[in-house]
Amino acid sequence: MWRRVLRGGHAFIGLRSGGTKALWGFHGLRACSAPALPAGCITALQAVDFWTKQFEGKGVTEPELSSRYIIAYLLGAKTIESLEQQRLKEFLSREETDQLWQLCTQRLSRMPVQYVIGEWDFRDLTLKMRPPVFIPRPETEELVEVVLTDLQRLCGSGATVLEVGCGSGAISVSLLKSLPQLKAFALDQSQEAVDLTRENALRYGVQDRLQVHNIDVVKDADALLGLCGSVAVLVSNPPYLFSQDMTTLQPEILRFEDHAALDGGKDGLNVIKQILTLAPRILPNQGRVYLEVDPRHPPLIQQWVEGNGKSLQYIETRSDICGRPRFCILQNEAPKPDQD
Amino acid sequence: MKLMVHKRFLRLLSKGRECIWYCQKPKLFISQPVTLTFGRTVRSFHVASPLMMKLLSVEEIFARKSLHQHLTKVQLEYKECLQAISSITMEDQCSEEELRAKRTKISLLAPLIQSIRELDKKHEEMAETEMLLKEEDQALRELAELEKEGCLQDIQQLRAKILELLIPEERVELSDLVLEVTAGVGGQEAMLFTAEVFEMYQGFAQYHGWSFDILEHMTSDLGGLRHASASISGPQSYKKMKFEAGVHRVQRVPKTEKQGRMHTSTMTVAVLPQPTEISFTINQKDLRIDTKRASGAGGQHVNTTDSAVRIVHLPTGVVAECQQERSQLKNREKAMKALRAKLYSMKLEEETSKRYNQRKIQVGTKGRSEKIRTYNFQQDRITDHRISITVHDVKSFLLGEDLLEDMNSLLQELSNQEALMELLEESSQEEQ
Repeated sequence: MWRRVLRGGHAFIGLRSGGTKALWGFHGLRACSAPALPAGCITALQAVDFWTKQFEGKGVTEPELSSRYIIAYLLGAKTIESLEQQRLKEFLSREETDQLWQLCTQRLSRMPVQYVIGEWDFRDLTLKMRPPVFIPRPETEELVEVVLTDLQRLCGSGATVLEVGCGSGAISVSLLKSLPQLKAFALDQSQEAVDLTRENALRYGVQDRLQVHNIDVVKDADALLGLCGSVAVLVSNPPYLFSQDMTTLQPEILRFEDHAALDGGKDGLNVIKQILTLAPRILPNQGRVYLEVDPRHPPLIQQWVEGNGKSLQYIETRSDICGRPRFCILQNEAPKPDQD
Repeated sequence: MKLMVHKRFLRLLSKGRECIWYCQKPKLFISQPVTLTFGRTVRSFHVASPLMMKLLSVEEIFARKSLHQHLTKVQLEYKECLQAISSITMEDQCSEEELRAKRTKISLLAPLIQSIRELDKKHEEMAETEMLLKEEDQALRELAELEKEGCLQDIQQLRAKILELLIPEERVELSDLVLEVTAGVGGQEAMLFTAEVFEMYQGFAQYHGWSFDILEHMTSDLGGLRHASASISGPQSYKKMKFEAGVHRVQRVPKTEKQGRMHTSTMTVAVLPQPTEISFTINQKDLRIDTKRASGAGGQHVNTTDSAVRIVHLPTGVVAECQQERSQLKNREKAMKALRAKLYSMKLEEETSKRYNQRKIQVGTKGRSEKIRTYNFQQDRITDHRISITVHDVKSFLLGEDLLEDMNSLLQELSNQEALMELLEESSQEEQ
């Protein structure tokens, strides 16, 4: 239901329909009071200033950056800095102005910049972004770093990785692009995410080494077990928010991103526990699990694994660059077969 | 005959810039405008004030007694090392370390010794050819003439090679560097000029096929640059760029000036060698990394597009920041690169400040506070104060192409010569 509303909302915003207003209430009203197109011509720099002020006035977060990113995108660049000064002083064409007004009006409705311009960078990749598929966060770039370092050290070529909850495919595509011998399975409960992961894999030419499946690991564990052969590594950025925190999220997240990719249940551990339950049945001896989690989670996970983790051992907690405990590493220690 | 040889050298010259240094070239020690041949193009350099330095030809250097003394000394040294190694016996007191030092010395000197021997051989050949020239047979004489020409050319090449091998190696002959530009005196005008100089080096990198990756980029309101840095890599990039470090001065009527008065503004160029991970390590514990995500819960709780990263090196207080990229990880990598270069250059500066005190062409280090070049727009000239050379056409110079390359090559040549003369002087002092 939520997703349908979102998709509808996305379409409506462009049309400034009354229907959006009814659905979004107060914020929807704001979105509809978009400024009129300018009568004369304006330059890119003037447009940056104009929209920065508009965003500021309407309480949109990161007003200046949003304005700069959208205009840079319009002019075919990633950042304003990478454009020549001369280009920024030239007048925008009518078409460019029209398109800019459309894009910025979407931002006024609090749509994340990443969805407005339809792409964002993750490590050295530029990935397609599309609502409601979860937008990868910078912390996940570090998760990939951790996994990459270990994969290069621990596994030879030809290992297979399983990613649970692939979203836009950021983790899987990054790993596959960095390690040309690697293969991967990627799962997501959302068909939109599965489609987007495929598109991003295609973009970087790793589609032949990636199998993407629309599977919900909580509801359909058997499908997962039947599907994957032996995988050396399980990696996931699962939904880890505590349900009670969902209401305090910024409008960009709350209104546009798939809640199923964020809400981890009462203690944020719903999907995590499911992954840790299945891991010993999927991973070989010494196979590892890498998770991105909430900073409150590592001790809870360690505790849970000691009671319910079977052969799974908690190895280590790593912090993100801001110093928050963010990544958990676990390892399967299968009991040694009896020696005759 | 002499003309023929000269032509040959010119041809050689046009084959590659690498040979420039050791080719015959019109001298600069003239008080009138001089013309220098730089491969593809002919440029006029005007000598603004009496030249402090003279660019010597290979012949002139080989005519010096000190050079021959030095070469003899080197050969003797080589021979001694060889003897020391071959005469070694198990019970010898010579330590393992001494031996290793001698072996290293041998392998270092080998190319030079080889060239000296080849040169000697060529001189012998030359003498034989001279004999043939006295023959009566016309055909034989013509043949000898040809051979002599070839010999002369080989001698010239070998001499040049020997000089090149003699030039003391810089401790840091790396190919990667971080370029830093910072606006100096002159407010907005200085920042506008800083942007132009930064673009000039972007052009210079492109001209040489080097990569130019912007790390920091802090603009002013009027489109100028307060500060910027870029990582440059490619063959010879450090070798060339190190001559660009120092204070660059601009003299013109700024766009912002209403009364048409001429202003003088400055900007500073720093060229920092980029250390490898192995040669220079930073303790992660000494770093504080700031991002916009530092406050609050981070992770899935927050969606931001501000991926700027600022890294502080706590023991020194040195800061690097990057906001060029949309990926936070990329920004962190770039900021780290800038920081490493800054810290490394601080360390190098400490070590080398004593070594290059007497040198006029301040090699990359001390030059940072020294005024090296003036760009005068009204007179349409650029003057390099280290070598007192003036070249015209500021607009073309700022493209970072031939004009800058020529100026830069000249600096390189004079610096090489300076280093060589220093070496010969030291060597002859030791003799006495």
